[in-house]
Amino acid sequence: MIRQTARDRIAHDLTHRGVSAWLLAGAITAFYLALYYTEFFTGVAKAVGLDSKWTLYGLLYTLAVVTGGVFMIRRYRHNRYQVVRTSVVMAVQTTLAFSVPQILKMVHQPEYYFSYLWPLKLDYGTPGYLFHLPLGYILYSVVGSLILVPLAAALFGKRWYCSWICGCGGLANTAGEPFRHLSNKSSAAWKFEKFSIHTVLGVCLLLTGLLFATYGAGNRYPMLAKYTYEYQSWYGFIVVAMLSGIVGVGAYPIGGTRVWCRFFCPMAALLGLTQKVGRYRITVKDNMCISCGMCSKYCEMGIDVRSYAQANTSFTRASCVGCGLCAEVCPRGVLRLENVSRPAPQERLVQIAAAGR
Amino acid sequence: MRYVIIGNGVAGVTAAFAIRERLDDAAITVISAESDYFFSRTALMYAFMDRLTPRDLEPNERKVYDRQRIERVRGLVTDLDAGAHTLTLESGARIPYDRLLIAAGSRPNRPNWAGMDAVRDGLVNFVTLQDLEQCERLTKRGGRAVVAGGGLIGVELVECLHHHGMDVTFLVRDPWYWPAALGEAEGRMISEHIGRHGVSITHQEAIARVLTDAAGKVTGVVTESGKRLDCDLLGVTVGVHPATEWLSGVRTPPETGRGVVVDRAFRTSLPDVWAAGDCAEIRAEGRAPLVEQIWYSAKRQGEAAAKSMLGDGVAYAPPIFYNSSKFFEIEYTTVGSFRAAGSREFYARVLGKEVSVRIAEADGAVAGFNMLGSRWNHTVFERWIAERRPLAWCMDRLHQAQFDFEFGRQDLTDIRRQFAARRMEAAA
Ligand SMILES: Cc1cc2nc3c(=O)[nH]c(=O)nc-3n(C[C@H](O)[C@H](O)[C@H](O)COP(=O)(O)OP(=O)(O)OC[C@H]3O[C@@H](n4cnc5c(N)ncnc54)[C@H](O)[C@@H]3O)c2cc1C
Ligand code: SF4
Repeated sequence: MIRQTARDRIAHDLTHRGVSAWLLAGAITAFYLALYYTEFFTGVAKAVGLDSKWTLYGLLYTLAVVTGGVFMIRRYRHNRYQVVRTSVVMAVQTTLAFSVPQILKMVHQPEYYFSYLWPLKLDYGTPGYLFHLPLGYILYSVVGSLILVPLAAALFGKRWYCSWICGCGGLANTAGEPFRHLSNKSSAAWKFEKFSIHTVLGVCLLLTGLLFATYGAGNRYPMLAKYTYEYQSWYGFIVVAMLSGIVGVGAYPIGGTRVWCRFFCPMAALLGLTQKVGRYRITVKDNMCISCGMCSKYCEMGIDVRSYAQANTSFTRASCVGCGLCAEVCPRGVLRLENVSRPAPQERLVQIAAAGR
Repeated sequence: MRYVIIGNGVAGVTAAFAIRERLDDAAITVISAESDYFFSRTALMYAFMDRLTPRDLEPNERKVYDRQRIERVRGLVTDLDAGAHTLTLESGARIPYDRLLIAAGSRPNRPNWAGMDAVRDGLVNFVTLQDLEQCERLTKRGGRAVVAGGGLIGVELVECLHHHGMDVTFLVRDPWYWPAALGEAEGRMISEHIGRHGVSITHQEAIARVLTDAAGKVTGVVTESGKRLDCDLLGVTVGVHPATEWLSGVRTPPETGRGVVVDRAFRTSLPDVWAAGDCAEIRAEGRAPLVEQIWYSAKRQGEAAAKSMLGDGVAYAPPIFYNSSKFFEIEYTTVGSFRAAGSREFYARVLGKEVSVRIAEADGAVAGFNMLGSRWNHTVFERWIAERRPLAWCMDRLHQAQFDFEFGRQDLTDIRRQFAARRMEAAA
């Protein structure tokens, strides 16, 4: 491997788990710890004229998405899927995930993030929180989570949310881009992913159920209320703070950009299950793959795309967020993201066989 | 039953897995002098450009070989005794076999330019992992490189060297880039594209003499027109040939021609010995001898040879030819043939873009497609050729073969307009 200039060496070190990568991971983790558990950033926010540390965080996050997005678009300007997708991600982040809630707050409306839905944002499926909102917000939440999410995932795959709308995916696919190749491609990681993500989903569904039960009958069963709230606060600590924030973003330079999305996000789990039975798939051109491995290397979800491509099998994996980078980097144009209405029956069989492998 | 395979390239390893799938109890051994594990030779350039690690080139997880009980032996086979059914390695180790597959791949051609005998260092090929190491050792930002040979591997090597900041001169002997496969218009488009990247590309120019210093390190070349080009690295990519040299010294050599001669069932002249992939030359009654040297054919031949070794009747016939490549950013898909007698060709380039279409028609049916700069589904073209569709019929349905990204479908209006204009000319 050739790395000649100081710049080459630093860039390589940073993007290949070198010392600087670990330092960066440490710095991001420290940032999140300080953000969650100290009031350091409250002071910073006040100093720059913002009302809270969370607004400051939102601003920094949006800046990261926009800056990374500009680089992303420049780099892939020849690929319209990437240009359109990244533009949407940037637009959603700057409006629905940042400025709109700020404006709502200013006009004395609830600070509501339309780009987030239950189960990713537990509050929006929590009766104690949700039912205090004006009716329009309640309707949006319920219709969004129960109808829009699964319907769109069945039609277009989970990508419509995970790599077009969601802020977690938005950061991964913009500022996180230089780290996407670090995802673990082993079959062991795939096994762990299936276990971990569905565990978090189960935990999340159970918690939601308990929160509804408590809302309805908490007065009569104080023990239920007590344990449910304790459960909720643990969920907030482990899943939201640790896994989605600290591990999710802190691990970028070490485990790649989508650690949270791939292993833990309950929303991704639900979308993935819907995707498996929906129309979305990656179509593989027959017998054109040269097994180079570029697609697998640059899959941020750690999917061994090559294993399907070299076996001439079009496929749908639950974890695929449809970022489209496999198709972009493939030097032989083997792959294409598609929404097909009905895969040919023989392809269905091959898919089932591949899924059981 | 002991199956032994020489060569862990795509032909050899595909055969090994195919045998295992059918025979649970056979012993299967794969021998390679080059690497411990099967890797994708086609991706050598991405390892050179640091976009992949050498480990990323391996198409299978390593544990698969243990799970499938495929024994891997690292070593150079130096002797083949068909009478005793035994191979001998350079180390002296002997490996007995019941059935043997030779899948030894190809070796780079070595031109006989003046001064070649004195070369000890500075000359590289781009075929093996060892070549890759040499290339990496000799690559320096700001250094000078000359690459000779205007084929597919040459462009890949040029792109890599250029990527690492070398000052590259690409010597193409032909009047335009790769006339073996591309028309003049496309060849010029590719050359311009390469030139725009900052590579100095020279046509109708070849090396006459290689210059070396006292230690035998290449210092430059002199071209046939007498021009002197200094360089620190000389890349030689003037084609490959089937790896048969090593067979000339063995106790029982199989018959060789351009490659190891086999019949349509991949049987060599020796009993219980088969050959497949880049190294094989298929001879069959009434057909021209066939040496296929691409990834797809090696995979296909490995699969078919395994069947033959397992006792199935095999009569190999290559399907309609297709291949693909990429010249810096320009993707290339080709299907069929442009050599049919009496064929006419339609060529069009999209105005202002590096996108072109060339389609050959012979006897009222399409025969070949040469497509640059956008993505196509070759299987659709194969079907049209097999169904003997007329050119105009295909032009009406060209969009059905498109395989571009979502939102990025190449607009064909301009190409269709050019086709319509051309047809009216022909009618007038
Ligand atoms: C840089 C490059 C890029 C390419 N790109 C493409 C492409 O884009 N598309 C395409 O279709 N084709 C491409 N090709 C061609 C393709 O790689 C070959 O056709 C294919 O790899 C041939 O496979 P094989 O199994 O026949 O032989 P190989 O892959 O050559 O494997 C043969 C193996 O046998 C070993 N061997 C030989 N003799 C002995 C011995 N005596 N003892 C022990 N081991 C031995 C060799 O060391 C080697 O490892 C490319 C080739 C190169 C070099
Ligand atoms: S990038 Fe393309 S050619 Fe390479 S392994 Fe993936 S599908 Fe095959």
